[in-house]
Amino acid sequence: MELRKALYNISALGDLGVETTSEKNFQEKLDSLLHVVLGTFLAGKGAIAYREKPASEISFVARKGFHDLSVGDIDLGPLLAAGRNRPYHPAGNEALAGAGVEVITPLWERNDFIGFVLLGKKFTAEPYTGEDLEMLGMIAHQIAITLKNHALFHHVTEQLEENRKLYEEMRRIYHDTLQAFAAAIDAKDLYTKHHSQRVAKYSVAIARELGWSEHDIEGIYVAGFLHDVGKLVISNEILNKKTPFTPDEMKEMRRHSLLSYKIISQIKFPWKDVEKIVKHHHERLDGTGYPDALSREDLSEGAKILTLADSFDAMTSERAYRKKMDVRKALAELKNCLHKQFDDRILLAFCKVLDKEIRGELPEPDILPHIERGSDLSVISALLEGLIEELSGDSREA
Amino acid sequence: MTTSPFQVTSRLVKDVAIVYPRGYLNNLSGEYLVNECGRHAQAGLKKIVVNFHETDLINSIGISFLLNVMEDLQTAGGTLCFTEMKKVHLDTFEMLGLTKYFLFFPDEEAALTALDARKR
Ligand SMILES: [Fe+2]
Ligand SMILES: [Fe+2]
Repeated sequence: MELRKALYNISALGDLGVETTSEKNFQEKLDSLLHVVLGTFLAGKGAIAYREKPASEISFVARKGFHDLSVGDIDLGPLLAAGRNRPYHPAGNEALAGAGVEVITPLWERNDFIGFVLLGKKFTAEPYTGEDLEMLGMIAHQIAITLKNHALFHHVTEQLEENRKLYEEMRRIYHDTLQAFAAAIDAKDLYTKHHSQRVAKYSVAIARELGWSEHDIEGIYVAGFLHDVGKLVISNEILNKKTPFTPDEMKEMRRHSLLSYKIISQIKFPWKDVEKIVKHHHERLDGTGYPDALSREDLSEGAKILTLADSFDAMTSERAYRKKMDVRKALAELKNCLHKQFDDRILLAFCKVLDKEIRGELPEPDILPHIERGSDLSVISALLEGLIEELSGDSREA
Repeated sequence: MTTSPFQVTSRLVKDVAIVYPRGYLNNLSGEYLVNECGRHAQAGLKKIVVNFHETDLINSIGISFLLNVMEDLQTAGGTLCFTEMKKVHLDTFEMLGLTKYFLFFPDEEAALTALDARKR
């Protein structure tokens, strides 16, 4: 008989192990643990109470019976004074006696008191033996470890979530700051309202079409926003001039890309080469651009994307000295300047973006709706298809 | 065909509900068993036979649920019988001192006859 009892207890410890390590969710696990205890001691009622953090309140997390008992009614003094994970018969506690609690076990893991287990009388009405209490002590320690592990895991998850929120918040502030900068630039030049935002948007679309990573895409987005920040330093008179620039004025205007570079070089970006992309947004493949007169091989893909996006928006926006072009003309102009000013791979990618927009394959069509409201898209579509075929051939030869 | 690792079915023989737990009697399955027996008790049936023929394992959790069923039925003034329980499980019940609270029969026939005899 003794041997069989011992075997039953061992198998109950086995059940406990199975339950504590199972893939079940926390609540199911707690319910199972409670049933292991109830089944092991044949108790009709039982409960597990637990607090997740040292500062939080203890509450019942699993119970069978004892529904009228509240944790607040239980005097924690004797419980804390009792041995760790050592079950005892509570004496002199009215709430416990009234509810029919026979045995109470404080749950400790290392130096943390984390809760307790209550058990009612046995189904067989027999008293709890010394062996029972010893066994219960072992089970209690197992339960304490399970609860503590859960609390730790929960804590880590909470911290991760907290960090994620902080990061999101930082990003938001960052983007708000960029928008404010861009707004300041665009406000200075009445005719280029929202120019920075659009250049950023077009650059992102092209970069995505070229298969850039989301991180790098974010970098070119920022570059687009800030590419003309140097214009803040140029006088309003020159910026908003309605007649052609004099050579001196032109020289002054051309300072803006270097000024942009100098301003944003002060900022430490998490993205690579933002300042270089900005610096080179008026460079040309044929080496006649400014400020460094770089040529095709020296220009990064980012700079080539920004250059094309910038020019396309300039062409399709109204300026102080000229009317805006429609998309067909602008595309023809871009094609005309291929190899001299623009890279064919970038133009190909841009045409594909526009084509996808017309086909409705982009989640947020954002380029054509802005410039070609109400125009005949089928004409543009045919033009784009021709260009795509031609440029695909070009890039294969290259 | 069901893929559930544990299922509880039952059938009625006159005023007796025979319940068949299959597989592994543990947490979730124990709950099914309690619910199934509770359903019959609610319908006014006071005689329940649990046939363990297809039950592979009854662990501490399973025993907790069986006590649950027993308690519920006791309060309703009913009778709970177990049949076709494996020797190893019978031994456990005996060791735990539970044999005097349940009626054990080798098979359904014997259980039904005994329950019928109880009827006045
Ligand atoms: Fe510029
Ligand atoms: Fe620009």
